[in-house]
Amino acid sequence: MSEFVEQLALCVERGKVNRESLYPPDLHGQDGTDELAKQALEQGLKPDTILEGCILGMDRIGAKFSENKAFVPELLMAAKAMTAAMTHLKPFFQSGAVKRKGTFVIGTVAGDLHDIGKNLVAMVVEGGGFEVIDLGTNVTTAKFLASIEEHPGCSVGMSALLTTTMVNMEGTIKAIKEKYPETLVLVGGAPVTKQYADKIGADGYSPDPQGAVAILNKKVA
Amino acid sequence: MTSFERLQNRMVGNPVDRPPNFDIMMQFATRHIDKPLRDYYLDHRVLVQANMAMLNDFQLDIVQAISDPYREAFDLGLEVSFPEQSLPISTSPLLREPSDLARLTTVDPVNGRRMHDRLEAIRLFREKVGGCTPIMGWVEGALAEAADLRGVSTLMLDLFERPDWVIELLEFCCEQAILFARAQMAAGADIIGLGDAVASQVSPAWYRLYALPYERRIFQAVKNSGGIARLHICGDTTLILHEMATSGADIVDIDWMVDYQKAAEISDNDGPAICGNFDPVKIMLQGSPEQVREAVINCLSIGGDKNLSAAGCEIPINTPYSNLHAQTAALSEYYSMA
Repeated sequence: MSEFVEQLALCVERGKVNRESLYPPDLHGQDGTDELAKQALEQGLKPDTILEGCILGMDRIGAKFSENKAFVPELLMAAKAMTAAMTHLKPFFQSGAVKRKGTFVIGTVAGDLHDIGKNLVAMVVEGGGFEVIDLGTNVTTAKFLASIEEHPGCSVGMSALLTTTMVNMEGTIKAIKEKYPETLVLVGGAPVTKQYADKIGADGYSPDPQGAVAILNKKVA
Repeated sequence: MTSFERLQNRMVGNPVDRPPNFDIMMQFATRHIDKPLRDYYLDHRVLVQANMAMLNDFQLDIVQAISDPYREAFDLGLEVSFPEQSLPISTSPLLREPSDLARLTTVDPVNGRRMHDRLEAIRLFREKVGGCTPIMGWVEGALAEAADLRGVSTLMLDLFERPDWVIELLEFCCEQAILFARAQMAAGADIIGLGDAVASQVSPAWYRLYALPYERRIFQAVKNSGGIARLHICGDTTLILHEMATSGADIVDIDWMVDYQKAAEISDNDGPAICGNFDPVKIMLQGSPEQVREAVINCLSIGGDKNLSAAGCEIPINTPYSNLHAQTAALSEYYSMA
């Protein structure tokens, strides 16, 4: 692994966005992910290398989150640092020069407006090397279906925070499976259990974002 | 034995005829009286009617003015919508920019709209069951209130990027919570519950820095007014259990993700009573009456003499009636076993 990848991964993991950012205090005044990514491209490094550093950094913070060694604020800060680096990759994603592992469509289920869990999963999955299509909150079955149509071969994630809304997952999954039986569907959220996920026909369940990445990685392996 | 006597005895480990049922009921209670959820959130008469029905039909040992997180925030100016059959929704934060905090001033609960509605609920409870059944008011913890006003994700980043400003915001939220707690005590509340859901999402170090000091100050105000303090933090609080026990709470709610054996340790000696902690979804919503019975008795046998019976968090709206009756039956059965 190159020194650059390691340095970028460290900045992602620690949430070091740019030179001006005050956090983390021990890296104050040093370059963050924004400068590192920019400089890498100027120096002719392959854009893939930036993606590699982001994936590594998010993988590390995601693992710590799963082990209760990092918490929501640390994960959000890492995601912010990752986004600062990924912004420099946008033209390469658009031209196809840098390819991602796959596409992940995500949204909270119809009726549910609580998006913190969904956002965390979206960030970590993006940091895992996937293109994320975030449909936002209160996503209807029709909207999920339209997005699958638009992104052939994508996987789908849906979350619910409420017991009153998690029941809406079942109908959406049924509709997806009828029209796109090959589509991998993951579910999650505070009231959702593995047992419930199995019952409603989901292909996967994870209590944390890192678990979702692991399932998606398995699909593309 | 009245519910009040049952609670007072149980909190200090003295014998009771059955352990108190302290389930948190909001949406289920509204469904039970066949009213729209919006009415429960906006009209204290509906909230009281729903609670009275729960007392009569499910032998709860508490009436509760808890409804949703946005009582204080609404009166402070947060835009909140109230769909007929859903939780209240806040679509944009009140504090879009840090500088917005300078324009915020505390609101006297008496002059608020939604805070005043809660005071009216407590007065009505007092008329109906005062002295017999514990009446619980509620406030948002300072960190939870800060998240309501700023947005959870933004506040989480603020903790890194502008910690001094966050402290300023928490001081404001704490002051508002104390005003509201005192007003509810004056209206006749016996217990003040403090919800600090977001506190389980930060590290233990940050819990000690950004949540616990304010919980202590709010609870001190409750105690000074002669009230009972109840701390409720949703989620996995395993790493902060012992700190929660130092908040000044007389009752600490334990959500279902926590090992109840570990939680029971904080209840030893002069520690607070613990309340919990079977799974509201897997057991109450999706389980069978026999599974409910087992879960209730299991928690009671682990939780010790000061344990109060409750699911780890709110009873889901579509919980089968048979499961709530199973909990009631298990509490009586546990007494006869003792």
